Amino acid sequence: MSDDAAGDNRVRNAALVGILVVAVLAATALDLPIVDIVTIGFVERSLQAATPIALTAIGGLYAEKSGVFNIGVEGFMIFGAATAATTMWIISGGSPGQGDVWLAILASVLVSLAFAVVFAVLLIRYEADQIVAGLALWFIGLGFGPFMAVLVWDSRNSPSLEGINDLTVPVLADVPVLGPIFFDTSPLVLFTAVLAVVAWKFLNDTRYGYWIQAAGENPEALDTAGIDVTRVRYAAVIFSGVMAGLGGAVLLAHAGSFTGTGETMVSGRGWIGIVAYLFGNYNPIGAAVAALVFGGLDMLQIQLQTVGIEVPNRLVNLFPYAGVILVLTVWGSTRTPSAVGETYESEE
Amino acid sequence: MEGITKRFGDVVANDDVDFSVEKGSIHALLGENGSGKTTLMSVLYGLYEKNAGTVSIDGEPREFESPRDAMDAGVGMIHQHFQLVETMTVLQNIVLGREPTEMGLVDTSTARSDIEEICSRYDFHVDQYLDTKVQDLDLGARQRVEIVKSLYRGADILILDEPTAVLTPQEIEDLLDLMEELADAGHSLVFITHKLGEALDAADEVTVLRDGRAIGTVDAAGTTEAELARMMVGREVQFDRPPRDPPEGDFVLNAEGLHVRGSRGLERVTDVDLGVREGEILGIAGVQGNGQTELVEALTGLRDVDSGTVRLNGEDITEANRRHRIDAGIAYIPEDRTTEGLVQDYTLVRNALLGNQTVEPFADGGMIDWSVVNDHAEAIIREYDVQPPDEGAKAKSLSGGNQQKFIVGREIEHDPDVMIASHPTRGVDIGSIEFIHDRLLELRDAGMGILVVSSKLDEIQKLADRIAVMYEGEFMDTVDPETTTEEELGLLMAGHDAGSGHGGGAGDDAPDGGSGRE
Amino acid sequence: MLRASVIERLAIATASTALALLIGVTIVAAAGYDPVQFITSMLQGALGGQSAVARTLRFSTLFILTGVAVAVAFRAGVFNIGVQGQFVVGGFMTIMSIVWTAPLLPEGAVGGVGLILIGFVAGAGSGGLYGALPGALKAYADANVIITTIMLNFIATGVVGWLVQNPFRGEGNAAPNTERIPEYVSFPSILFDSSGFSIVGLAIALAVVAVIYVVMERSRFGYDMVTSGHQESAATYSGVDAKRTVVSTMTLSGMVAGIAGAVFAIMIQGYYTDPSGIGTYGFDAIAVSLLAANNPLGIIPAGLLFGGLESAGSHIGIYTDVPVQLIDGVIGLVILFVAVPELFRMAAVRTGLGGEKR
Repeated sequence: MSDDAAGDNRVRNAALVGILVVAVLAATALDLPIVDIVTIGFVERSLQAATPIALTAIGGLYAEKSGVFNIGVEGFMIFGAATAATTMWIISGGSPGQGDVWLAILASVLVSLAFAVVFAVLLIRYEADQIVAGLALWFIGLGFGPFMAVLVWDSRNSPSLEGINDLTVPVLADVPVLGPIFFDTSPLVLFTAVLAVVAWKFLNDTRYGYWIQAAGENPEALDTAGIDVTRVRYAAVIFSGVMAGLGGAVLLAHAGSFTGTGETMVSGRGWIGIVAYLFGNYNPIGAAVAALVFGGLDMLQIQLQTVGIEVPNRLVNLFPYAGVILVLTVWGSTRTPSAVGETYESEE
Repeated sequence: MEGITKRFGDVVANDDVDFSVEKGSIHALLGENGSGKTTLMSVLYGLYEKNAGTVSIDGEPREFESPRDAMDAGVGMIHQHFQLVETMTVLQNIVLGREPTEMGLVDTSTARSDIEEICSRYDFHVDQYLDTKVQDLDLGARQRVEIVKSLYRGADILILDEPTAVLTPQEIEDLLDLMEELADAGHSLVFITHKLGEALDAADEVTVLRDGRAIGTVDAAGTTEAELARMMVGREVQFDRPPRDPPEGDFVLNAEGLHVRGSRGLERVTDVDLGVREGEILGIAGVQGNGQTELVEALTGLRDVDSGTVRLNGEDITEANRRHRIDAGIAYIPEDRTTEGLVQDYTLVRNALLGNQTVEPFADGGMIDWSVVNDHAEAIIREYDVQPPDEGAKAKSLSGGNQQKFIVGREIEHDPDVMIASHPTRGVDIGSIEFIHDRLLELRDAGMGILVVSSKLDEIQKLADRIAVMYEGEFMDTVDPETTTEEELGLLMAGHDAGSGHGGGAGDDAPDGGSGRE
Repeated sequence: MLRASVIERLAIATASTALALLIGVTIVAAAGYDPVQFITSMLQGALGGQSAVARTLRFSTLFILTGVAVAVAFRAGVFNIGVQGQFVVGGFMTIMSIVWTAPLLPEGAVGGVGLILIGFVAGAGSGGLYGALPGALKAYADANVIITTIMLNFIATGVVGWLVQNPFRGEGNAAPNTERIPEYVSFPSILFDSSGFSIVGLAIALAVVAVIYVVMERSRFGYDMVTSGHQESAATYSGVDAKRTVVSTMTLSGMVAGIAGAVFAIMIQGYYTDPSGIGTYGFDAIAVSLLAANNPLGIIPAGLLFGGLESAGSHIGIYTDVPVQLIDGVIGLVILFVAVPELFRMAAVRTGLGGEKR
């Protein structure tokens, strides 16, 4: 078993290196200017695109670690984005500024919190089917997210709102490479990077982290150790809802306007978040890195254009989705926590 | 513990049991599977609520509503299934729920020194791998982690439920030494086991349970394995076993040099040869978990074999899948009727089709004739006395015995060449046991070859013409039930070679291991 | 026993729908609209007059077909969320196969029937293949079907959207549409003289329901599939090959979705357009199927109900200020409530309406 786990990781890493090598070789063979594609600007844009996915992934990871598969994160993201957009518009009376952006993110977190509590009660207390209820939340988001937009703007899309300004940290911003990537960009990127590290530390080095892991792996062991499994799971599910809502708000804050047509502006990023934490092997930092890969795929289009490779937008936009399928096919059998999806009832 | 009674529905698992452990001693609780040992200890540990009786600790009556209460009173239990989180480290597991913290983070250095302090008192060797994940440890080490975990929580009384079942002989020896040390240090230990030798080796006192009743408590120093075996098995139950001539029919099912891996990739069946003749019941005895499940799955086509061959009527079916083996005439009463043998949400009619999907007249050209299946279900219910006689009832609404009778009926009605029955009467009421035994014996008399796997010795002795005893994936010996006592079988099942090299004198004149290479 | 559970399911389905609608109306009222007027327009939109009924039946036809596609997979325990993508691929291939083969066949009724048959074969075949792909990924690489099918939905929409815009855009089309299929390739107007609905389409849907019902209830394949969905270990015990069953289940589900796509393409569109604007039948179908407890026969009333809801939605979209997206949200709420039967059981116990406490 241990060999399996270690072997699994080795295969994972080897495959990742393999893909990179193949990509570089292919690029060389096709005479693609890698240096022009992977620019600092590209990394910066990829990080911004990755931020909402990473936030969602970290939350979803906590829920699943605790034994509850929260596949409603896509729905939470839509609500997060829609709430942030409408709040920003309403509190500013139609001309939002930077302060309104932050207030909108805060409001979005609070609304997500309320939804997450209800959702957690349905999942845990009323033993809802986790898959069906999670899907339902997506559909509810797809309906009521644009609904909110129509109520406010009479259109599924918002007019141009305010996006978040870059934060330039003096001195640090001048550090080569890292400076522009982390210290002269959206402050939410730095926030997410810090959060990923904190989430990792919390999960591995605090008692609550221990409890979350035990709740998902062997709830009986946790129960016999005197900890209430249900409470741990409530906390984790609510956290995942809030994080996904925040992810949606951040997506909006980076985009600067709300899109409610089609699958809305979230457009599968919640699902990608789930795959990101599977790909990251349930490690918050790994999940954030995986999110960056998907963010990079998302931003590839601009890079290809700048170096003069004409691939239709429509198709390049599909790269992240194809990437997800590839990831799931190669790493499909990730070891999920043993007790995911099982309701736990204490002996008492 | 005095007058403990615990009922599960109509089944009395513990019947007015008295039991006491002296401080600083090791007390073995000995009995066969299902004799009520674990139930009794689960009552002590607060997992089950007792129906009657009192539990006292240090002379004080206590009520435990949960393991937490028991733990607070200094009772720790090491379950057969370890309560460990495999993906977490040893240290994390030990402190889980009792973590020392500093600035919000778990204070691993305090934890480490506390654990090392406990370990230094005994010969645990746990402190060397505090940062290893539990999943990377062997079972013996995991067990020591469980013990340290209990001690870390301040346990004075330690209950070890079949602690040796999963260990290698060397690990068992280490464990018994460790238990000795713990007792010397003033801890009280309860050692649940069905292995006579270990009970005698390790314990100061031995209490024997049988059928939920305490048969007696004896001083380990003043008793023998033979006496304990007699107490364990009892002699009241004497099955009528009309003498039979050894069956001479042709072999219908053979396996040669079978090697099979378990779900975790470890070899669970090692070089097994077996042969089942027409008109014969071959019994496979053994403590559960010694490879019987994997062997049966390999024979029935549910698990791939690593090497070796399986033959049905001389034809090599090693590569045949489950479906082909069903069609070829292997019927199978599975070990687990609730997950395998029946679809719990299906009616009995729909369950009557399970495994018969390709069999005429139930299905013809891919389409199912439900009226025929319906008649079939009714016939099974009638002939195999399934209660209630309602073919529209869902499987889950039936009692265990009736579920099992339905499965037995369905599999017999396949009209197979070979019947493989895995624990055919586990968890079944006495009436149904008799009924199922009679059916199997009838089939044998009608000339069918039958393989019965059971951990119940009386069942094996009653049914089998030859008994193969399985231990750690291998056949220890194949013996003749007419001339072998339950004690001798019990010793074989526990991995002893029963003294003399070959079957304790009983196996010498028994037919050969049934390899069927003739 | 059996009857009790059917009644219980019916009660849960009714309660879920009612509760979801109630919440919808409450939101309408809270948003400052007149709830009474809202309800009246909904009823009018669904049933008021022949064209409203035709529109309801048009949507119902598609919901029944896509609902059956979902039910096939869910019954077998495979979460095919990709019916939308299979529907799109099937519909697109239907149009293209007809466009490509039309010059080879005679014009008029005979050619029309022939082309319709070709279109259906192409639709069912391509939908089936598009469903088989995630099935195979699940069986042989253990890739989570929920996520792969959702991704394949995005990919189907994107790729078909690009195809109709570029290589397959009809000559001289300003809009990103394919060529039109010939006029004579259409379902006859019987009873309803409405563009976009023919009773033939509904008949096809009902015939598919009947076939799937027989397959699920009377065929060995259906028994294997449903048994896998209920209890995989028992299915394996009975000789069912679990991996193959996943693939064939997904193929069958995708084929039905492809047929739904073919009906949509021939009966409603007559050409193919960017799929991001054609409606989310494949998603709403999940609600239809769950509401029907994944029972093919139950799909019919559930599909009619959803057809009515959708039809009402397009009516209120035109004649009132209430945003139609509300209906999508209400559909989501229906699914949410169906997922929590325990909620209603407890409520029933509390209010003394019956229902056993588990």
